[in-house]
Amino acid sequence: MFTDKIELKDFDKMDPEYKELLGRVLTIQADCEIGGPHLYVEKMLPAAPNKLEQLIVARTAAEEIDHFRKIARVAGDIGVDVSFVLSQPNEKRYVDAFRGVIDTWEDHAVFGFLIDRVGRYQLEEFYDCSYLPLQRILPDIVNEELGHIEHGYNKTKELIESGDEGKAKAQRAVDFWYVRALDMFGRSGSKRAERYRYWGLKRRANEQARQDYLNEVNPILEELGLKIPDPLKGRHFL
Amino acid sequence: MSEAVPETEKLDEHLQEVVRALYGAVKRGITDPKAADKAIHDCKEILDVIMEGKVEEWVH
Repeated sequence: MFTDKIELKDFDKMDPEYKELLGRVLTIQADCEIGGPHLYVEKMLPAAPNKLEQLIVARTAAEEIDHFRKIARVAGDIGVDVSFVLSQPNEKRYVDAFRGVIDTWEDHAVFGFLIDRVGRYQLEEFYDCSYLPLQRILPDIVNEELGHIEHGYNKTKELIESGDEGKAKAQRAVDFWYVRALDMFGRSGSKRAERYRYWGLKRRANEQARQDYLNEVNPILEELGLKIPDPLKGRHFL
Repeated sequence: MSEAVPETEKLDEHLQEVVRALYGAVKRGITDPKAADKAIHDCKEILDVIMEGKVEEWVH
C-alpha cells in the first residue's frame, strides 16, 4: 500500500498508474459536480414552488459550479483538462444518475436527499487521500453538500407530510433514485477500485461504501414512513 | 513539474466571478422580497450562460 502524501511538485515523479487514476477520478468528480445543475436548473429554477425555493435552486447550482471550479483547478494543475464536461450533453455523463432531466419538485427534493448523499460519500473517499491538493479542497465542498442533503431531506419530508398524494409522489421519486444511488458506487469487487485504494486515493471498496450508505439511508426512509425499494431491481452494477 | 492546462487560471477566475455574481443575486433576493423577481431573473441569465458551457468564449 502506498502511504506517502503527494504535493503538486511531486506529481511528475509518480507512477503512471497513479497519474492516470488521479486524472480519471478528478474528471468523474468534475462531471458529477456540474452534472447536477445540468439536471435541474432548466426546469426547476422557473418551476420551484415559491421564490425562496427558486433562489435556493440558484444557490445550490452556484455551489456545485464552485465545486466544479475547485476540482477543475486541481485537475488543470496536473495537466488534466476537465473543461469539456461543462458542455457535455447529459446523456454522456459518466454516471447514470446524471443522464436525464429533473422536471418535478419531488424528483428535485429526493435527488438532494439521496443522490447528493452519495456525492458526500464519494467526497469522503478522498479524506486523508494521498494527493494533498485534493484533500485540501474537501472540507468546504463537503459542508455545502451536507446543506444540499439536508434541504433535500426537509423538502421530501414536507411532501410526505402534505398528505397521501405528496407521500405517493415522494415514494415514486425514491423508487426511481434509490437504485441509481446504489449504482453510483460502482461494481462490487472492482479491480480499479482496488488500485485506487492501493494508491491511497480512496478508502473503501465499492461494496463497503454502498453498504455504509444503505446502513445510513434505509433507517431514514423507514422513519419517513416510506417503503425501502428493492435494492437489486433495475441495478446496472452489483 | 507537470504542465498545467493552459487556461486553468482564466477558467478558475471566470467561474469565481460567476459564483460571486450568483451568490450576490441570491442574497439580494432573499433579504429583500421586492427584489426577488429581479434576482431570479439575474440568476437565470447567469446560469443559462454556464449551462451552455462555451468555455472558449469565457476565457478569451
